[in-house]
Amino acid sequence: MQVQLSDIRDTHWDAIVIGTGVGGGVAGRALAEVGMKVLFLEKGRAGFRTEETALNLDMPDPVARAIRGFWPDPISVTLDGRPQELFAPIGAGPGGSSVFYAATLERPEPHDLDDLPDRPHPTGGWPVEFAAMRPWFDAAQTMFHIHGEPDPLSSVPSPAVAAPHPSAPGDAMIMDRLRGNGLHPYRLHTAVKRLDGCKDCLGHKCPRACKMDGRSAGLEPALVTGQAVLLTGCAVTRFVRNADNSVSVEACLDGQVESLNARHIVLAAGALSSPRLLLASRSERDPKGLGNSADLVGRNLMFHLNEIFALWPGKSAGFAGPSKSVGFRDHYFAEGQRLGMVQAMGIDVGYGEIVHHLRGRVARSWLRHVPGAMDLTRIPAAIGAKVMGTAKVFVGLLEDLPYTENRVVLDVGNPGRITLEYRVSEELLARRKLFRRLIRSSFKGTRTAFLTHEPEPNFGHPCGTLRMGVDVGESVVNAECRLHDVPNLWVTDASVFPTSMGVNPSLTIAANALRVADRIKDSK
Amino acid sequence: MTDLTQGIAVVTGAGGGLGRALAVELSRSMTVVGLGRDTTALEGTAQLSSEGRFHGIEADVSCFNSTSQAFEKARIHGSITLLINNAAQYPRRDFTEETAESFMEVVATNLGGTVACTRAALNDMLDTGFGRIMNVATFADIAPLPASSAYSVSKGAARIFTRALIADIGDRFPGIVVNDWMPGMLATKMGIPDGLAPEQAAKWGAQLALWHDPSLTGTTWEMDREIPPPRSLKRRIADRVLMKPRVAARRLG
Repeated sequence: MQVQLSDIRDTHWDAIVIGTGVGGGVAGRALAEVGMKVLFLEKGRAGFRTEETALNLDMPDPVARAIRGFWPDPISVTLDGRPQELFAPIGAGPGGSSVFYAATLERPEPHDLDDLPDRPHPTGGWPVEFAAMRPWFDAAQTMFHIHGEPDPLSSVPSPAVAAPHPSAPGDAMIMDRLRGNGLHPYRLHTAVKRLDGCKDCLGHKCPRACKMDGRSAGLEPALVTGQAVLLTGCAVTRFVRNADNSVSVEACLDGQVESLNARHIVLAAGALSSPRLLLASRSERDPKGLGNSADLVGRNLMFHLNEIFALWPGKSAGFAGPSKSVGFRDHYFAEGQRLGMVQAMGIDVGYGEIVHHLRGRVARSWLRHVPGAMDLTRIPAAIGAKVMGTAKVFVGLLEDLPYTENRVVLDVGNPGRITLEYRVSEELLARRKLFRRLIRSSFKGTRTAFLTHEPEPNFGHPCGTLRMGVDVGESVVNAECRLHDVPNLWVTDASVFPTSMGVNPSLTIAANALRVADRIKDSK
Repeated sequence: MTDLTQGIAVVTGAGGGLGRALAVELSRSMTVVGLGRDTTALEGTAQLSSEGRFHGIEADVSCFNSTSQAFEKARIHGSITLLINNAAQYPRRDFTEETAESFMEVVATNLGGTVACTRAALNDMLDTGFGRIMNVATFADIAPLPASSAYSVSKGAARIFTRALIADIGDRFPGIVVNDWMPGMLATKMGIPDGLAPEQAAKWGAQLALWHDPSLTGTTWEMDREIPPPRSLKRRIADRVLMKPRVAARRLG
């Protein structure tokens, strides 16, 4: 698996894949499986396959973060004009962020991609129609061993989704409750094989090839073909133009700068880093950065807003165990607005979580100046837990729309740093209000409480920063996800999404990576 | 792997005292490799152990080379799933009569041996994500006795090592269970004449070592019971007033 650098230099690679998350892993696997020689470049460290590390946003040390496969450094965010540094839920290591994900791979709706008469698309539609993507969604669902139930509100069949695993008692209970409220719940589409002794690795690394992610469903099967090689600890710094307009990769490995060549370069460093690498590739030929003649690289950055709420279904349901794989799309598109789906988060809120939540509220209020106020939150929390039992926690994924001023920028003095500017638009706030109102009203008679108060962008769901489109002046990559003016540079991460959709991005990343890989193998 | 007894146990200081008793006790359940400086003493342990279940390897844990060679030999008998860091020395010496060398020699065994053996055993455990490390510890660091400086310092540092190791691997490898065990005052060469019989302490030690429960990681046990982390009086009052739920300390059955 690990090889000598001299062998790497001497090999004629058909493709270099930058990043081993879902986008890179899946594209690289597809290319290796058709016999192409693939070199994966991964910034993070190899680590041990047996690790069960959970993402820990409170761990600040960059060395400790790197060895765990977390993105080592904080990201710099100017949020609504206020600069701040924070640790984003993103990974750096084989499998990228996906080794930490909850393996929910939901297919978007036709109107997420298509401009429909009754549901106009904010960008006029993706350059690839839903109908054209469908076979790739099916292929990705097969590749990721997706289990679940079809959405009862959808008219589009899901032939590649296998029947759901036996449901947890908590799931059955909560689904009855949701149906009682007139909603249409279904078992979420989950990429977990449930092998014998499955540890249900949602939110942490899976020590086996049971949870399907960029590593277990992409990178590792690619390496098994014998056609692919992985270089870890290899941070790509920029692209360099060759005489024929194609590009080579400049990477940093053990402190040495390496130049690596391949027929095709697949960029899948994630929507926060892929544009950064293009912006860092400035030259006389490309003064604003590679692919940036229209000044669009890094722009149209989108996240989902996480609307997290707790639902107290009553004491009997509270004892049935956490609900893991239930979701519904009743508010996906409502009152002419794009909103999003709602999913169980797989946790019950008991005493400790309520304390944590109340502390957060105290910390944001004037009470933070009162000594002991933090600890006093324990009393209402203990009473709350006794009176209401445990709550089920759900998250609504609210679609974000593209704005050119929301963007990834290059910190010239520190080009490896993820730096971004993001504003929550008035329009998003209005849809947020609607989404929360609809959620609240759909649980009449059941106690609910929103646990998110300020708008909370989900920094783990970035997309849109290298928009795919037909018009050279309005997009960075073409409909096949190749940079408009670079013959050998393709993008297979969520950067290319014209819109953020109302579902988790992973399935669409995987499906699109398969589609792009198919074009790459057919191109010269 | 999900069963410690499918692999082998390594017990350091297995030629006598508590180490011998632990090895003998563990040999009822699994293959044990005992490390020690005295081959005759190791043979004695073999005779007391279950037939064919004990393999003595001559090693001085204060010497890194000796330790790594011993672990190479140990692996002939299987993959290491359990390590008990037991080897220690406790010379009674006033600090005015220590030399820097004599002091650091003790540190090399008590702390260095624990570090070296743990590092070597992890080679096997990291590959499977499964294992058990139990460090035989003392309270000697809390109020060091006279004529015990090297012992107190090195054993105290070893307890810090347990915590530091957990900080590095605890969240990544929950299947590698690490904790400290205080055997109590024993009637051994290192202990006191009217102390507890090492065979009795070893029954508890072996039972705890064979208990593979991730929630044990980071806990401290004395003889057969869990010692909860100390809380200040202020903390205890505050916890009571604020209705913080109490967690009961566990006991070996």
